This record gives sequence, structure tokens and C-alpha cells, in this order.
Amino acid sequence: MTRGRAGAMTLLRLGLPAAIGLALLAAWWLACAAGRFPAGTVPRPGDVLRAFADQARTGRLLEDVVASLFRVAWGFATAVVAAIPLGLVLGRSLATRAALLPWINFFRNLSPIAWIPFAIVWFGIGDPPAIFLIFLATFFQIALATTAAAGSVPRVYYRVAHELGLSRGAVLFQVTFPAILPQLITALRVAIGVAWMVVVAAEMIAVRSGLGFLIVDARNGLRMDLVVCGMIAVGAIGIGLDLVFARLARIASVRWGFER
Amino acid sequence: MTEAVLELRGLGFEHPGVAVIDDLDLEIARGDFVVCVGPSGCGKSTLLALLGGHLHPTRGTIARRGHSRTIYQDGGLFPWLTVRQHIAQGLPRDLAPARAAHKIDEWLEVTRLAEFAHHHPHQLSGGMRQRVELARALAAETDILLLDEPFAALDYQTRARMRRELASTLADRPRTVVLVTHDIDEAVQLGDRVVVLGPRPASVRRIIDLPSGRPRSPTTPGVADAAHAIMKELGLT
Repeated sequence: MTRGRAGAMTLLRLGLPAAIGLALLAAWWLACAAGRFPAGTVPRPGDVLRAFADQARTGRLLEDVVASLFRVAWGFATAVVAAIPLGLVLGRSLATRAALLPWINFFRNLSPIAWIPFAIVWFGIGDPPAIFLIFLATFFQIALATTAAAGSVPRVYYRVAHELGLSRGAVLFQVTFPAILPQLITALRVAIGVAWMVVVAAEMIAVRSGLGFLIVDARNGLRMDLVVCGMIAVGAIGIGLDLVFARLARIASVRWGFER
Repeated sequence: MTEAVLELRGLGFEHPGVAVIDDLDLEIARGDFVVCVGPSGCGKSTLLALLGGHLHPTRGTIARRGHSRTIYQDGGLFPWLTVRQHIAQGLPRDLAPARAAHKIDEWLEVTRLAEFAHHHPHQLSGGMRQRVELARALAAETDILLLDEPFAALDYQTRARMRRELASTLADRPRTVVLVTHDIDEAVQLGDRVVVLGPRPASVRRIIDLPSGRPRSPTTPGVADAAHAIMKELGLT
């Protein structure tokens, strides 16, 4: 790609979304200025900006962001650690797959919100119930995606591995795992988005910190400017998390799965 | 007579309820280039999987003296590895790092892939991918090379070039080769012997010897007659 073409692509990728954001902001500002919304239902952009500044100055926004990210990190990491080995076993073993797959599908279709009563009864309040809900929301998804990926590794790879004399462990780490990595990265990218959505819902119930709590606390105080402030932070961090996982697709040894 | 590297005695293989190979006898001597041809779906690839030890006979025996490597039609390369890493994978494990690096460079030169050493398979053409497979298989210095329609996915010109390259590479580094193909031209241009298999369940219908020297052109004496004989056995004339 020429330098000029690359510059144009960057402008397109960043400039167009920025232009749409500015247009939405202008429409919001104009609608508020024209008094289109009943009092107290939609905050003005200026009020939201001030709320942001206040939250940033007092450090509460940062504390809430850190609290939410902490819960997501634990819930997501434990789900990844548990789900990938399970998915690898299910993908390679017909009998285990036949026995467990219907149950994984059953639990995958249960909304994490349905688990909230159990989460509170079992774990009380604080971080553990939120982490538990994030774990549930992502574990079954990742396990299912890993199962599908491991089950679709071409048989010829295992024949080549057999001829190369690779041990079982080497086959797992040098063949199966790299072969499923592109599909796994896509699954993790989807799952981290789900984890981030669930943490906000979980924090509205069982904790007294985090962006979900910030939003519900602001609603209770009729501070719609703070509600929007929390929503913008949730959306922006969600994009950031997605970008981190999207970056993984650029690693040389997995790029094949995204370029073919 | 040269020592037999592969000896198949009364070989049979069945998938549940389906006989794929039945009572197949064949002896392949060290350094032989044997080509198996047969009707589509007759069990040629199953035979190669049996020779490679990926499947086990349900009847009869296979005596294999030495290790084998297989080159597949397509998809035998790991997409996450570079050309260099593939060749390294083929080398004997006990090679010292400096010697291994030298060997890899040598194979990159032989297969004319030096400038693509850090490319991944999806960045290569079909012919280049087959050259990587060939380099990995030959770098292993195993005794037996099994070729499962290795050039079938290539266009006509690349196929012809790959045949010549295979023949010249093997001339310098002789191996016992078993090639399965549906391409009769390929069979008569490359093989020392062509084994014509019957329809499923496959068994040896006829073995046709070819004149020495490789690769042969269609005008090489004996080649046209051999091709005609194969076609006759397959019911194509």
C-alpha cells in the first residue's frame, strides 16, 4: 500500500467515526438548547462534561473504572483458564463431547442475570458475586468456541505431527493450540465484550463500587449527567478492550487465520 | 535383488462395513519409485495412509524397514509456521543448532525458497507450498517418501515443472518413493514401476515396468506403450 493510500485509509478509519460523533454531539446539544426533552430526562452535554471533570478530579471515576476492570480481569481470566482445557478435551474426544455438550449449551443459554440470586446467596456482596457472574457469562461461550475450533483442526495436521514424532504434549502445544488460536482470539474478543456488559449489570446489584454502581447510584440521586458520564466511560473502555483483543490478530503466527 | 523396504502381504483394510483394500500384495525395493494408479475412490490414499502407519491393516501385514514422510496434495503445512520453521521441523532432532541452520539454508537453496524463508504458507503460491513440503520431507533424511497426489491441486505448467524438480532433487538424494496419483502422464513420467489398482476394494491388477531415466517425456521409447497399457487396465480405451 502506498503512503498516500495508507494516509487516506487512516483518515477514513478515524475521521469518519469522529465526524459522526461530532454530528451526534451537535444534534444532542441542539435538541437540549431547543428544549426538546422534558426537564430532568436528558442532561445537557455541558453538564455531562462538568460531571466528568468532577469525577476525574475527585478520583472516583478512576476508582470505579479500576474496580470494574479488576472484576472483569478475574472473572474473564478464570473462565479462560478453565474453559480452554475443557474445550480442547471436548474437541478431541467424541464421548466426552456427546456427554457434556448439551449441558454446556443449556448453561450457555441461561442469562447470567438469572444467577444473581444464587451469586448473592453463595458469595454475599462485594467482588466475588460479580466475578462469579462474569465467569458464568464467559466460561460456556469460550468452552463452546474452543470445542468447535479443536474439533475442526484438519486431520492431516495430526498425521504430519505423527510422522514428525511429536509427543502428545508437543502435539497439543505445537499443533492443536496454534491451529485453533485464530478462532480462539475471535471468541475471546466476543467474550470480553460480554464480560464487560455483565460487570456493569452485576455492579448494579451486589457491590458499592465500579461503573455499574456509579450509574445506578447516580440514577438514585437523579443525576442523569452522571449516568451519561458512566455510560460514556463504559462504552469507551469497551472499545479499548476490543482493540486490545483485535490487536492479537496481528501477531505473525495467527495472522493466517484472518487473512485467508 | 535389493532389500525390500516395504512388503505388503495379503493386505486388507475395512471401514466398518466397507472393504477398501482386499488381499493386496506388493514388494517395494530400496530406491524404487513406485506409482499407484487406480480408479477414483479405489483406496489409493488409504493405501498410502497404511504405508505411513496412520492406519492399521484389518488383514494381512505391512513390513516397513525405515521411517517415512508424506507429502500431501494440499494442507500438509502448518499455517502458523514460516518456510524456515517448516524445514527446521523436518530435520533430525539431534542436529546441533549451527548445523541445523546450515542444513535449512541448503534446503532453501535447493528448493529456491531462500527469499521466502520468512513467509507463511498462505503467502506462497501452490507450487511453492509443495516445494516447502518436499524440503521438509527430504530434510528428514528418512528412507521412504510417500506422495499423496502432491501436484493435483496445481495448474498444468506448475505441475510439469514440479515433476521435473522432484525428479532432479531425487536424482541427487535418492529415496524409496511411493506416489499415488490419478494422472497417468505423471505416473509414466516419474515411476520405475506403475502399480495399477482395481476398483474398490483395491487389489493389484497389474504392474508395469518403465524404462530407466527420469523424468521422461511422452516421446521417450516405451512411455506411450506404458500409458496405453495403464489406460487399458483402467478401462479407459
